[in-house]
Amino acid sequence: MLGVFLKALLIILYATLVGFMFMGIIRKVTARIQRRIGPPIYQPIIDTIKFLSKKENITHGVIYDFGIIFALGATILALMFIPLGGVSILRAYGDLILITFLLEIPMLGIMFAAMSSGNPYAGIGAQRALLTMLAIQVPLGFAIVALAEYYGTFSTYEIVMAQQAHGWSIFHLPLLLAAIAYDIVLQAMFGKEPFDIMTAPGEISLGPMVEFGGKHMGILQIQHAIGLFAETLFFSNIFLGGAVVTTFANSILNTLATLGILLIKQLAVLLLAIFISTIFPRFTIDQAARFYWKWPTIIAALGAILASL
Amino acid sequence: MNELPIIVISPLVAGFLAWLLRIRGVREIIGVAGSLIPLALLIKLYPSLGERLEFTINVAGFKLGLMLSHLTWVFSMIAAVVGFTAILGMISTARDNWEWLFALMSLTGVLGVFMAYDLITFFIAWEIMTFASFMMVLKYNRHASLKYFILSIVGAYAMLIAIGLIYAKTGTLTFPEVSVAFTQDAMRRMMGGSGLFTKTETMLIYGLFLLAFGVKAGMFPLHVWAPDAYSETNQSYTAMFSGVLSKAGVYGFILLYILMYGKLVVEFGHFRSAPTFGYIIAFLGGLTIIVGGILAALQEDIRKLFAYSSISQIGYILVGLGVGTALSIEAAIYHAISHALFKGLFFLIVATLIYRTGKTEFKDFGGLAEKMPYTFAMAFIAILSLAGIPPLVGFASKWLIFEAVIHENLPILGGMVFFGSAIGFVYLIRFTYAVWFGQRPSDLEGTKDAPLPLAIAMGILGALNVVFGVAPGIVAQELNKIFDKPVIAGNIWELDLGFGRYNGLLLTIWMVIGVLIAAIVYFLGANVRRVPVTDTYQSGNPITMEYNLTIRRNFFLPLREVMAFWLKISFDRLYHDIWKSIEDFAETARNYVYNGNVQAYAWYLAIILVILAAMGV
Repeated sequence: MLGVFLKALLIILYATLVGFMFMGIIRKVTARIQRRIGPPIYQPIIDTIKFLSKKENITHGVIYDFGIIFALGATILALMFIPLGGVSILRAYGDLILITFLLEIPMLGIMFAAMSSGNPYAGIGAQRALLTMLAIQVPLGFAIVALAEYYGTFSTYEIVMAQQAHGWSIFHLPLLLAAIAYDIVLQAMFGKEPFDIMTAPGEISLGPMVEFGGKHMGILQIQHAIGLFAETLFFSNIFLGGAVVTTFANSILNTLATLGILLIKQLAVLLLAIFISTIFPRFTIDQAARFYWKWPTIIAALGAILASL
Repeated sequence: MNELPIIVISPLVAGFLAWLLRIRGVREIIGVAGSLIPLALLIKLYPSLGERLEFTINVAGFKLGLMLSHLTWVFSMIAAVVGFTAILGMISTARDNWEWLFALMSLTGVLGVFMAYDLITFFIAWEIMTFASFMMVLKYNRHASLKYFILSIVGAYAMLIAIGLIYAKTGTLTFPEVSVAFTQDAMRRMMGGSGLFTKTETMLIYGLFLLAFGVKAGMFPLHVWAPDAYSETNQSYTAMFSGVLSKAGVYGFILLYILMYGKLVVEFGHFRSAPTFGYIIAFLGGLTIIVGGILAALQEDIRKLFAYSSISQIGYILVGLGVGTALSIEAAIYHAISHALFKGLFFLIVATLIYRTGKTEFKDFGGLAEKMPYTFAMAFIAILSLAGIPPLVGFASKWLIFEAVIHENLPILGGMVFFGSAIGFVYLIRFTYAVWFGQRPSDLEGTKDAPLPLAIAMGILGALNVVFGVAPGIVAQELNKIFDKPVIAGNIWELDLGFGRYNGLLLTIWMVIGVLIAAIVYFLGANVRRVPVTDTYQSGNPITMEYNLTIRRNFFLPLREVMAFWLKISFDRLYHDIWKSIEDFAETARNYVYNGNVQAYAWYLAIILVILAAMGV
């Protein structure tokens, strides 16, 4: 029992650290593309420590506090269900549908907290976030359907194991289509351009994030870090073959190798998202909805129909 | 065996007594007792469900009766529990005696529908239910009630014709005998024989039942009555109206499976892995999810939002039923239960809001979370449940539907249910933002929390939402008894389908752990200072309470713009136009034919007599 909790704690720490590193990489790579030097890669960690150690914090009521706690808690919960090589806690219950839902819950917490502040920017940010979610849900749904129908199971871990035997998902045509659609969806899940409509810096003052400061913002930074880690990990697991290393005799070495392979795959997913985000300007919300309901949906639906044949 | 008629009749009797007595206090006690008796008796009868529980009488050669099996018990329990809470809520919100009479009468009707043993009882109970709910709407809004009534009558006639056809061919009306007749007929068809029913007749009966049950369930494109009827009545009653009465339509579809499954499969075959006739239901259900959901997001009236949301959720149930495997039907019944629980809760919340504020439109609300903490807590549960957030009951049932549909390799339906879950988020957040958060209009300053009866009723439904979500196996094991085999394996905490697993307890534990970790980080930080709602970042503009900046109207304007083309298509308008042209035709007929002139009528008579004479009669 204690071992499980210790393992869980290690996973959370690892995810937080890697997530912060990802956030640093996003800033660094974006800066390099824009021919700036950019902040050091550990800058988000310093920022978060500063946020958390503010001497005074403001609140707009119980929901404002609870919302962000709920968001971080739900992100941690989602993380527990995603297979992380041989070390994940609840991978036996890592159901595709469950994880898809769990990855959306944190946003609900943030929405609740943001809206309870009464700031109109937060309100309009919530509206945009929800419409983005509605837009991405269709291709996302078809991609998940394609996966489940191709492999005949909903268990993420079994899908990872199947890929060890039959090659990565993206090497099969139906799932390649699903992966393309899912990757476009991922762009909006990360909140990166051209789908950063919900935060829209410089337009609606970061939308839902506008009121947060101090330790609230610090917790949301941690949540964002773990969320980034979880989303890239989920994608690597279901489309890029995950990682299950058993070549070494030592289990710790195996685990480290697994984590290393997964990290490379996660970085690949992340870098692709960064490259896209630095090139494209922002869509408006109705453009985003029309876009998602057209090409990604057609691609993903084609994948789902091919997978079901 | 005498409990069955008592279960069905007691609400009606209590309703009459409450109506006659007209004494405040006594009326309420009688009404609540009348809805409590069925609940108590159903629980008492639970251990003896294994035996055949029947009650029959002979009327003019017809065997009329009631029956309680595992399936009907589950549905009757939905009716009894949600009915009881709705009646509790009516203690606060009922305006008059007749509301007690008709609310309880419709409870009798719906219990009769669920427990009917033959098509006659089914039809009579169905009509009692329709009539009572029509009367509940009539006193609030004539137009809405007439729309409901006319569509219901169309459905009722359709059902009557179908029942007549079945009786003409099989000579029996009790469910087991009709079912046997259809099965034998299916067998004969498979052997290559001609069969009792031709293909056209089977299709006709199927279509008529589809019409009849589709109207009551609110299936697209027959849903047009529901938004008006659900919203234009006592909202405590709507908890039952939407939570239970719509399930009569759902139960009707299940009845279709029980009676005609083999015959329909033999006649129409399969579409991919689902029976064709079921796929039609499922596809219409999928459209219902989308149409209901999008329209819900665009409503400006709190009651209408939940009415459309109700339609949308029924779509899920129809998808589950239509797929037609044992698992998907169990999933559908599970969702019927959870829909009754969370939608009943939602309408009680709406009832509380209207009772306390007297307002119904989003633009008049705001900032009520501080004033009504208990109601808000209940709304929070209901929102999480409807949006399908684990570990609440809404997730367990939705998850089952997702898995059941996708496992059958039906990608289009899978996409539809995914869209439905997102649109659920969308309209719920709109409700949350407009009603509970933001700046509070000054006339809502004195708003008090829920009155006791409504609070108790909400508490019951809220608790059930949590319990059945954390321990989904309680429901699943009950549903397994319907099929007499473990379709959903696992224990009371866990649902195990073989290709997917969900453990409510484990998830709850880890969610608590996650929230605890987050809370530790939170409490390690410095103290917080509370600031008022006007103290927010506004690019330097000072905010005052005179200007309400919370976005309440047209919250999802971009969605309306994206959907502009589709929103032009309205079945409601189509039916209205059809109705209008019928009226025009009647008007023309009145002007030229039925013109009130006695001489003209004498001429008609003479002409008819001449025609008859010419025909040699």
